Amino acid sequence: MINRLLLRDVSVIRRRQYWGLVFVLPAVLFFVVFFLYPLIIGFGLSLTDFTLLRPPVWVGLDNYINLLSDRLFLKSINVTLGYVFGSTVPTWILSLLAALLFYQKFPGREGLKLLFFSPLLPSVAVVSVIWVVLLHPSGILTHFIGPLVGKSSITWLHDLTLSPIVIVVARIWSVIPFYMLIWLAGLTAIPQELRDAALVDGANRRQSFLRVELPLLRPTAVFVMAVSTIAAFQGFTLQFIIAPNQGGPVDVNTTLGVVIWKYGFQFYRMGDAAAVSVVLFAFIMIVTGIQLKLGSSDRYSLQ
Amino acid sequence: MAETRQYESNAAFEARLRKRITKLILFCTAVLVAVIFGFPMYFMGISAFKAESEILATPFRWLPERFVGLEHYARAFDLAPIGQWYLNSVFAATLQVSVAIFVGAMAGYGFAKFRFRGKRILFALILSIMAVPFQILLIPLFVLVRQFGWDDSYAGLIMPGIISAFGVFMMRQFAYAIPDELLDAARIDGAGEFRIFLLIALPLLAPAAASLAIILFLFSWNNFLWPLVVARDRALLTLPVGMTQFSQPYRGEPIVGPSMAVSMLATLPVALLFLFFQRYFIEGMMVSGIKG
Repeated sequence: MINRLLLRDVSVIRRRQYWGLVFVLPAVLFFVVFFLYPLIIGFGLSLTDFTLLRPPVWVGLDNYINLLSDRLFLKSINVTLGYVFGSTVPTWILSLLAALLFYQKFPGREGLKLLFFSPLLPSVAVVSVIWVVLLHPSGILTHFIGPLVGKSSITWLHDLTLSPIVIVVARIWSVIPFYMLIWLAGLTAIPQELRDAALVDGANRRQSFLRVELPLLRPTAVFVMAVSTIAAFQGFTLQFIIAPNQGGPVDVNTTLGVVIWKYGFQFYRMGDAAAVSVVLFAFIMIVTGIQLKLGSSDRYSLQ
Repeated sequence: MAETRQYESNAAFEARLRKRITKLILFCTAVLVAVIFGFPMYFMGISAFKAESEILATPFRWLPERFVGLEHYARAFDLAPIGQWYLNSVFAATLQVSVAIFVGAMAGYGFAKFRFRGKRILFALILSIMAVPFQILLIPLFVLVRQFGWDDSYAGLIMPGIISAFGVFMMRQFAYAIPDELLDAARIDGAGEFRIFLLIALPLLAPAAASLAIILFLFSWNNFLWPLVVARDRALLTLPVGMTQFSQPYRGEPIVGPSMAVSMLATLPVALLFLFFQRYFIEGMMVSGIKG
């Protein structure tokens, strides 16, 4: 009797466990079709000369070999790396400083913090449209900076040196509040007792920050660095909208993302575009790998 | 004795003064920082109410010399099918958020509350999706959607983003908090598994899903790259893609005012979400890294 009951229970439980599969199936099927399958054909396409007009022909590694002598692609690697370094390092420092500022207590803090958060609201498209206006040759930015260099009109966006810089500035402006939030959460998570202990042991505020808080912020730092670097490698929308002629002038703002779009949707060279995607993927996987390593190693310290 | 007290109170006074000065310096720095970061948004909002000739005029005026009311908004609707784009964005976002929440809740519940064969590898699939940036999938996804005959259609616009791996992941976290006893009690009462999910698990997951819903909305509402490549018909554009047409002069004539008006319209729903659900908004942003 008891045995039969138990057996019945086991089969009920087993039947119940199949329900788990039933519940996850819709999502899993969707991801097989719209993620796994495209991911695989993406690699496949990069080995063909597909142009949307005629069926793909296998070309082996030709697309990759051609990329090695492709001026636009090689330039875009430089542009992307410049954009990554230019936009990430200042973002790390400035967002940490902003977090340290708003971590202190002073009157009006909450209201000012809300104002500071306002760049969290607009989409990248809106950010781009606003900055196109701010960067008008005789617009507001020229009004502030022009007198310093003795100019009444600055063509921010058509200047080969200035335009990547102002795009980095727009980018930094739009993301600092987000990273500040992350730092702030990290700072808040540090127990007050640790700071107090450092102060009791005779450390001053600066020493307490450098020796106690900063090392404890390491996981936060790894997160901020990795997320911002990965996001910057995918830079596209700002360069697409703000820069003249999608990534111009003279391709100084043509990031890898813009190259993928150009090859894919301007020239319909899907094979080449897929190959560039694979290269971008490789870059991002390297960053992700470094992040995982730094995040888990105990030997690494910010000191 | 008197001298010591004098000395002490001097020191106390000095300490208090120093504290006050520090606070003042902090306050002034914060005002400067907040104004620098808030200014572009203020510029956008106020420029939509300034006469076209006044927007780019320097020095900058904090308030319009001539208040033009909703003139630029009206002009924007004349120049482009803003209403249609708005509806497209709302339609895509509504569909994507609701389906992603429902299917995500189902999958998250399945992963959290059941043991079945292949669970680990299937969950690894979900995790790997979050690590692969969308740009990598852009070309093959476009080719695939074209094969389905979905290019330049609502299906093509909406389907690839209708279920979110991040949604599944978050829902799984939330579903762990559902007590097993509750589910077992329902089973003993003879409820079927799907009924248990619909009537017990889903209502318990709903409040936790608030920040997730906000994030999924932002993903959809702000999405630029995919609508840019998949929608070519002007009537099918979403707001972010359509509004970029405003960053160019219209027939040689600047339309900065209307472009700021459209920017305001595009930001309005997000601003409302931020005002009313600030905690969920910020929480969701931080766990998803959406603004990075």
